[in-house]
Amino acid sequence: MALSMVLERPSVFEVDEVESSVMTTDATDLRDLFEEQALPFIDQLYAAAMRMTRNPSDAQDLVQETFVKAFAAFKQFEQGTNLKAWLYRILTNTFINTYRKKQREPYQGTIDDLEDWQLGGAESTTAMASRSAEAEAIDHLPDSAVKDALQSIPEDFRLAVYFADVEGFSYQEIAEIMKTPIGTVMSRLHRGRRLLRDLLSGYALERGLGTIATGHTQTGSTSA
Amino acid sequence: MTDCGCEKAKAELEEYLHNELRGEDASDIQEHLAHCGDCSDEHLVGRTLTEAVQRACRETAPEDLRDQVLLKLRTIQSAH
Repeated sequence: MALSMVLERPSVFEVDEVESSVMTTDATDLRDLFEEQALPFIDQLYAAAMRMTRNPSDAQDLVQETFVKAFAAFKQFEQGTNLKAWLYRILTNTFINTYRKKQREPYQGTIDDLEDWQLGGAESTTAMASRSAEAEAIDHLPDSAVKDALQSIPEDFRLAVYFADVEGFSYQEIAEIMKTPIGTVMSRLHRGRRLLRDLLSGYALERGLGTIATGHTQTGSTSA
Repeated sequence: MTDCGCEKAKAELEEYLHNELRGEDASDIQEHLAHCGDCSDEHLVGRTLTEAVQRACRETAPEDLRDQVLLKLRTIQSAH
């Protein structure tokens, strides 16, 4: 008698049913909460994904994958902590684990160890008439030039610059997102910004921007 | 170069720009920038660089991406 009751185990199924109906409600609430809290970051995440993958189709896939992973882990997310940084960590992880490999970029692991001269980028600022002329020249560059320059600097530098300058993450948050010590973040930022500045100044000079506005004009330059 | 503070300011300008300096460290730089043309020009370039990057990186997710994400979340949930 006792044995057959154990074998039938009807109570287990009953409990399961009750639990699953409770879970459905919970899960719906959780999904609502996730959609309400996480989905507003979709534009920002897409913009970051664009800078990572460099093309809209991969960026969309990356964002989708990020939301799927974030949703799966959302129960573990501690409410009241920084959701944006949490989402960016998932985005960055996903990118590094899948897309970076797919893009077959040259190995980036040692980029932090390279000397500045090995990265190219010279101190082109000397060619600028003045720092304020340099600022003005950079300010007048088209977005496409800035994007090209960003795209051409080493990836880890690019991401650090993006996280700090576009997203306004703190160095500590970037360290957590990129899983590196804060000193590495600062070095990546500094070197990334230096390279970017040199590229943009160089680009501006090529276009005749940033030189002293004296009477003589360069051949082929358009009038201001 | 001006007489004093430039070295410290140049070294910390980037942290200052990113709001990483607090209290006295930030006000030291602020004060130095107010009096040093060289450093404030350098700071201007830094700020301009940040603004240029911000401007260039603005993107809006395609309309259907949001729908795709929502659909995916619902599909995942109903599969459980």
